[in-house]
Amino acid sequence: MARFHTLYTAIQVTGPEEEEIPIEGSTFGGRLGKPITSRLLGIIGETQVFPVYLGITGVLSLICGFIAIEIIGLNFLAAVDWNVVRFIKMLPFLAIQPPPAKYGLTLFPPLAEGGWWLLAGFFLTASILLWWVRMYRRARALGMGTHVAWAFASAIWLYLVLGFIRPICMGSWSEAVPFGIVEHLNWTATFSVRYGNLYYNPFHMLSIVFLYGSTLLFAMHAGTILAVTPFGGDREAHEIADRGTAMERSALFWRWTMGFNANFESIHRWIYWFAILTTITGGIGILITGTLVDNWYLWGVKHGIAPDYAVISGRPDILPPGMVKLPSLATPEGFR
Amino acid sequence: MIPSYLKWAAAAGTVVGVAFILAVPKWTAPSAAGIQVGPPPTSMILFPQGQKVEPVSQLPPPPLPPVAASGQLSKAVYKNVQVLGDVDQAEFMRLQEAITQWVAPKQGCGFCHTGEDYASDAKPQKIAARLMLSMTRTINADWSNHIAPSGVTCYTCHRGQPIPAETWFPQPPKPAKPWVAIQQPYNESADTVRKFFPDNGWGLFYVGNENISGQSLSALPDNQVHAVIVVTRIYEMMMQMSDGMGVNCGFCHNSRAFWDWSQSTPQRWTAYYALRQIRELNNNFLLKLAEAIPMKRARVNETTLPVIPASEAGIQNGNGLAVCATCHYSQPKPMGGADVISTYPSLVGSPLPHPDTTAQANSVPAPRQEAEAK
Repeated sequence: MARFHTLYTAIQVTGPEEEEIPIEGSTFGGRLGKPITSRLLGIIGETQVFPVYLGITGVLSLICGFIAIEIIGLNFLAAVDWNVVRFIKMLPFLAIQPPPAKYGLTLFPPLAEGGWWLLAGFFLTASILLWWVRMYRRARALGMGTHVAWAFASAIWLYLVLGFIRPICMGSWSEAVPFGIVEHLNWTATFSVRYGNLYYNPFHMLSIVFLYGSTLLFAMHAGTILAVTPFGGDREAHEIADRGTAMERSALFWRWTMGFNANFESIHRWIYWFAILTTITGGIGILITGTLVDNWYLWGVKHGIAPDYAVISGRPDILPPGMVKLPSLATPEGFR
Repeated sequence: MIPSYLKWAAAAGTVVGVAFILAVPKWTAPSAAGIQVGPPPTSMILFPQGQKVEPVSQLPPPPLPPVAASGQLSKAVYKNVQVLGDVDQAEFMRLQEAITQWVAPKQGCGFCHTGEDYASDAKPQKIAARLMLSMTRTINADWSNHIAPSGVTCYTCHRGQPIPAETWFPQPPKPAKPWVAIQQPYNESADTVRKFFPDNGWGLFYVGNENISGQSLSALPDNQVHAVIVVTRIYEMMMQMSDGMGVNCGFCHNSRAFWDWSQSTPQRWTAYYALRQIRELNNNFLLKLAEAIPMKRARVNETTLPVIPASEAGIQNGNGLAVCATCHYSQPKPMGGADVISTYPSLVGSPLPHPDTTAQANSVPAPRQEAEAK
């Protein structure tokens, strides 16, 4: 018996597997795996699992990713003398640091002094870029647009700025982020303090706007679609071209709520660009920190975005002995 | 449709998860009452109620009753009195009694003195006590910028234990391996987030004279040497300072411009002298103490082992140096800022003649001042 089929009343069909389109120019591997059906996965998505398409870029990407994870994992394990219990306990704190500043942009520093970082970084980057090529090509093979690949490219941009482009601009790998859970978080805090508080960086501000905006738009859109699903709103692509009551109701809802509404087509562009701009602006903000601007708070003072506050009372009028307004920033010998 | 067994499993899982979260970790509900120390928009707020209280006595013991002066100096009555020779004999004995109560209440006089001959220097503890007495007198005499008006006694650090609970044991550098990088020495037994930080940076500032400046002081790059590592080390040291006093950054700084004295609180001036005081104590007294009595520890963070004259242990094998926590025990002022010195005036005085300390003007040694300004 036919049933009204929506997100809420999904019927899990178990039957002949979906026939997939033939692939032209499949070079290596092609599709892997026999189709299976999963009731559990059917609750949150499609019931059919597999086949997956790996191809030459997928295989190479997995190999490079595996090598990167191996380098990082084995370094961690070696650092705790191959003690698995210590490895698990210390996992948050273990790290591979980039080469110290004295090595500049040397490609082959000693392994214990950042050499492993460069190797792991190379293979991780290769893996990510190959995965991007794979995404692009799979979209093309299906005759789709390449929107997803370009969104991914935006995230890769931020990743490359942090670990590759900015260190090269600064002339030292030591400017890059370490591989390690706590260590990369500490790096983030220290980086902000070193450059006079990243909150005054306008591209950091934009990135936060787009990040929070993405989640807001995502919640607004997903909430709207779920709300009009009983009227067929989950067929939103269909309603772009052929407005039904679901589209009309959701449009009216937002027009009544805030006077303006996106439509079923433009809302996706809103969310797409908010998400993409998060990492594009974030990457720009990181790239110009240290290269073009050295202290964001002082930059903010210069451009009138950092207000003066009331003076704190009870303070001595003079600086303590030896304290000068502008001490040197030369790195002393003892810092390693 | 979601099968009913899945719903039951999800419900059971939720109940178990919530019960785990509620029951397993230790929860506390500190008061969120804050004290605003900066101008309103800066969030320079202290939360004294939320700080962890260290398990030591946070109040000074009542002072011993005053004694009538005997009219004789202790050096005229006793042999081998080197530091307190000019103190009245009766006051000297009162102080000895107080020191026993502060440092070795269980061990008694015999902790430092041998048998019948109290003048003997046979026990290394006695050498240590003499060094520490002269240190205490130096602090009270020379570092009023930091410790006035409350002053310090032995009890400020010792709190009734032969070894102060919160000393810093510099770890010997780990042997390098040819292929693998040395990891940062995170504090594995930390019970607060701030204690987790490695102590790599401490020696640079608490023993050495490194400048605490890592932030750029111009909006645009001006060919200064840039190194995030400098800020990393300062960060680690500042976390000790913060944890040692039970305060956050806003106690001294406006975090939007850590370097800017004009936006800092008066406490930063106090901390400036405190840091220089710690440097003097570590260099002139505690490193010497370590030479006199090297301590050996079973574990890195084991601080309660008794003092042993261990000929097998070198300085690097463990010697307690002073950091903020050594006196403060996570309080902005040790023992709530109680006045401990007015009842023991003999603990204020000039130190032993000492090439490193005699040349000092009021607070800041001249050569260090140059280092600071370079």
